[in-house]
Amino acid sequence: MSLSAQFLWLIPALPLLAAALGAFAPRGARTLVAGAAIGALALSFFLSCAALSTALANPAAHLTHNFTWFELGNDTVRLGWLLDPLTAFMCTMVTFVGTLIFIFSLGYMKADENFKQFFCFLSLFAAAMLGLLVANSLLLLFVCWELVGLASYLLIGFWFHKPSAAAAAKKAFITTRIGDLGFLLGLLWLYDSAGSLLLYDHGHGVLEATALGALGSAATVGGLTVASAIGLLLFCGAVGKSGQFPLHVWLPDAMEGPTPVSALIHAATMVAAGVFLMARVYPLLTADVRQVIALIGALTALLGAVIAVAQSDLKRILAFSTVSQLGYMMLAIGVGAPGAAVFHLLTHAFFKALLFLGAGSVIHAAHHEQDIRQLGGLSTKMKLTFATFAIGTMALVGVPLVFSGFWSKEAILHAAHATSGSPFPFYAALIGVALTAFYNTRLISETFFGHGRSHAAQHAHENSAVMTTPLVILAFFAIVLGFLGTPAYPWLQARLNGETAVHGHSLLDGAGLMVLSIVLVAAGIGAGWWLYGRKLRLRIKASAPDPLATAAPRAHAWVVARLQFDELYAATVGVLNTFLATAADGFDRYVWGGIVHFLALLGEFCGTVNREADEQGLNAGFDATSEKLRGTGQAYSRAQTGDAHGYLRLLAVGFVVLALVAILGGVA
Amino acid sequence: MNYLELLRALLPETALVVGALLALTFDLSFGVRQSRETRLHAAVIIGTLAVVAAMFGALSAGVADAVFGGVLVLDELTLASRLGVLMLAWLTLTLTGGTARLRHPAEFVAIVLFATAGFTLMAAAQQLLVAFLALELASLSLYILAGFDKSRPESAEAALKYFLFGGMSAAFLLFGFSLIYGLTGSIELPQIAHQLARQGQSPLLSLALVMVLVAFGFKAAAAPFHLWAPDVYEGAPVVSSALIASASKLAGFTLFVRLLWPGFGPAAGSVATAAGSPGWLPLVACLSAASLLLGNFAALAQSNVRRLLAYSAIAHAGVMLLGVIVAGDAGLGPLFYYVFTYGLATIGAFAVIAVVERAGCCQKITDLAGLHRRSPLLAGCFAVYLLSLAGIPPLAGFFGKFTVFAAALNLGGLAGPAGWLALLAIALSAVALYYYLVMLKQALVVAPADPASAPVPVPADAAIVLVFTALLLVLLGLFPSVVLRIF
Repeated sequence: MSLSAQFLWLIPALPLLAAALGAFAPRGARTLVAGAAIGALALSFFLSCAALSTALANPAAHLTHNFTWFELGNDTVRLGWLLDPLTAFMCTMVTFVGTLIFIFSLGYMKADENFKQFFCFLSLFAAAMLGLLVANSLLLLFVCWELVGLASYLLIGFWFHKPSAAAAAKKAFITTRIGDLGFLLGLLWLYDSAGSLLLYDHGHGVLEATALGALGSAATVGGLTVASAIGLLLFCGAVGKSGQFPLHVWLPDAMEGPTPVSALIHAATMVAAGVFLMARVYPLLTADVRQVIALIGALTALLGAVIAVAQSDLKRILAFSTVSQLGYMMLAIGVGAPGAAVFHLLTHAFFKALLFLGAGSVIHAAHHEQDIRQLGGLSTKMKLTFATFAIGTMALVGVPLVFSGFWSKEAILHAAHATSGSPFPFYAALIGVALTAFYNTRLISETFFGHGRSHAAQHAHENSAVMTTPLVILAFFAIVLGFLGTPAYPWLQARLNGETAVHGHSLLDGAGLMVLSIVLVAAGIGAGWWLYGRKLRLRIKASAPDPLATAAPRAHAWVVARLQFDELYAATVGVLNTFLATAADGFDRYVWGGIVHFLALLGEFCGTVNREADEQGLNAGFDATSEKLRGTGQAYSRAQTGDAHGYLRLLAVGFVVLALVAILGGVA
Repeated sequence: MNYLELLRALLPETALVVGALLALTFDLSFGVRQSRETRLHAAVIIGTLAVVAAMFGALSAGVADAVFGGVLVLDELTLASRLGVLMLAWLTLTLTGGTARLRHPAEFVAIVLFATAGFTLMAAAQQLLVAFLALELASLSLYILAGFDKSRPESAEAALKYFLFGGMSAAFLLFGFSLIYGLTGSIELPQIAHQLARQGQSPLLSLALVMVLVAFGFKAAAAPFHLWAPDVYEGAPVVSSALIASASKLAGFTLFVRLLWPGFGPAAGSVATAAGSPGWLPLVACLSAASLLLGNFAALAQSNVRRLLAYSAIAHAGVMLLGVIVAGDAGLGPLFYYVFTYGLATIGAFAVIAVVERAGCCQKITDLAGLHRRSPLLAGCFAVYLLSLAGIPPLAGFFGKFTVFAAALNLGGLAGPAGWLALLAIALSAVALYYYLVMLKQALVVAPADPASAPVPVPADAAIVLVFTALLLVLLGLFPSVVLRIF
């Protein structure tokens, strides 16, 4: 089974078709639209598998199919599809996880009246993401990138009658737009200096040696090379899309969407786009840019983990854990290990989808209660959900040797350790590991152990198979996927780097670091268990204070308020924006408005003068002429035929005028 | 003189004429016993087959140099224009099957086919005499089509005005042709070009050119030779108006651009610089400016849908004339793309009017009120056509305007009239957007005048036309190079 690059467009086209069907189908066609959406994505999955086998047959090659979209003068705008292991792995992951999420949504959204629309948007979301993955042109990638943004806006605000959901959708859209502006500027600059936006084009693409050499040697302001400046601008886009500090604020709010949407955004589609973009343009990233990326990534990883410690909303904790994990991926890119970043991206997609769908299962069972202080005691009532959720958590925490998250995180830590730059990212990542273990232990303890602390939690029961089956499948992959890239046999990283041979090394190389991280994980889990999980400490009442809040109330409140980033932005960017808007409004109203008013008055004045002159002077004569003409017209038989005469007369007049113009012009 | 070669080159015309005769024969022999509906459908099917056969004929004739001693020419323009005209004729025929209520359906179809034969011949003519005959064949058929609805006095009036105007302009054209023959001693375009290049300008030549341009202005509905258009668009049966506004325009522009550039090219003059030089280009620029101004401003005052479309057609003729001006420099691509996509959008708009008229009345713009409730398909397609006419991306109309304007600005920047004409056209596009949106507002926003007004049923054949044209407008807008690559 193989799929050549020429037909790669089929992978995004199928979900797009399903979305179109969903848009035009009548409201009642629920099964049809949902079936088409799931069927199309499943079909795309098989195509992706075919593409994967093609790509793996020759991992070093970048198979492309380029074509001219349109020509303008001497400029041609070309688009194309690109098939390499990165594309193929990502497509396979997105279509597989996406299909499971779609199936889960069947159960989760069953009662929603806009069921059809939901599947239409989901398909659009998947199509946009897949288009982004197969694009061989940064222009096409950008178009799909924006489509992803649009679809996320529609889905986060799906329950738009809730003001918080509408606000969250707006926030996600605007925040990512700030990053996109940088991305767009980077694209324009790149097009200006390289003359093309194709990634690979038989030696003429922007990621190939000729263009890279030219970009790397041309200098711009402040000693930056052009390549560095463009790389930083492109990274801006990734910062927005992948929720990196300082644009991470939209990601937790995006929880307002239905839970399958959160799963899709956090696992397979939107946030992965930023990391994917960085991995895609990795050859373009110079050492300076990589240092910035590593710093931002490490900061995000630490920040997300810290904030997650004090949140009490089930989905919000998961959201901050996503922020933190995305930080790890960026860190890996920054320290020169894009293979490890993509490895973590893939494993994370599976276990985070699992966690979100598990959370969805909990929330669905507990009648949309998602405050973990109100939950509790679900381990006995929802055994399957609990088991799979626990597997997901252990993968996220990085419980050693068995779970996938352990191996991918280990790869990142090793890369961060081996890098020659500042040691800060490495230590931040280590602290993040311990914190991750800590807050996840808290999450599990409060949600699943003890007694149900609300009516909803006490009467929760396990969901139907359409919702639990995806959990089981994802749990299976949350374990086994790690073995694709263990240090002993790093098959995945080798393929991503375009190598056919796999050079593993003994697990004992760098065992010290591995032991250290295992110790940190154990310490985190132990601390979490000590504070939240022990029988003595298990929460009894929903209103009981958090042990951390009693220990350090002010610091805890600050962390609960998410380090007050939203407030900071509101006080700085928001105020500045309001000020500028007021200023522009005043300028518009008084300065431009004044000019327009003046012109209007002037026009009115001229009109009055004109009319007076007309009525007093000209009209008298004109009226007389008109009367004459009308009289002549009456002399002809009827109005209609008279009309035709007039027409023909005008034709003759036109001829004479044109002839005069021609002859006078000719003489001149 | 190779008659076989001639036969091959004239395959499309042969197919169309045979189809017309078959339609008549079938109707007279078998049709008399049938209902009018059946006769109409039989005629339309025969007509469609003839058009398809003509398309194959045009394709198999292929691209060749001068045929039959230079009487005809089969270049890319011929091929593209023939196929375009045939596609527009096919759309007209299909629309006829869906909406028209005719007393003599087979005659109607036959005359549409005769007109189409005239169009395809116009596309291929390379000799003044053939060009004139082809033009008259098409024109005579169109006069009849305009007056086909004998039950309405407006139809007869439209036909009479069209005929008077057309006859007058044909006289001008013939006079112009004879002057040119007198000046150059030839009626074949290459020889004429050769002679004109040697002779240079003369007052007599100017007069001849002006006479040709009068006829051109009539065919293109360019101001000040536009006066027939509003009455004909309004009075003629809708399908006839659709054919006059689309296929006839495409064929007319093909014929005249061939006359003007390959034929009278040496007398073109220039509009690229402020001083310019005398020739027919400045005259065409005058016509273009007049059409742009008059068409757009007069359209603002209209309350009748078809009259409004007529004035918008005059405005579009202004842009097309700009396309003729740039054809010498930028090639025929922009002009052909513009005229063809304009034809598609216009035929679509007339199809909407035809369907609405079938269910009731469609005279005033307010008759369209609440179309989105009465028929979402019609309203959606109508939006595509009007937005394409207004030049909103990503529809084909936008790209058509864009290529023409870009070529005009490339001609000499703002140093000459061409650049300023392009700026004028761009500014007036904003005016045009207003009156298109006035119509769209009625169709998409305003509630139906009568809340209980019945849904508009869309016949299957009309739905094919609607969806096909709308899709084509979107696709050609997204992939303009499909058409532009031909030239």
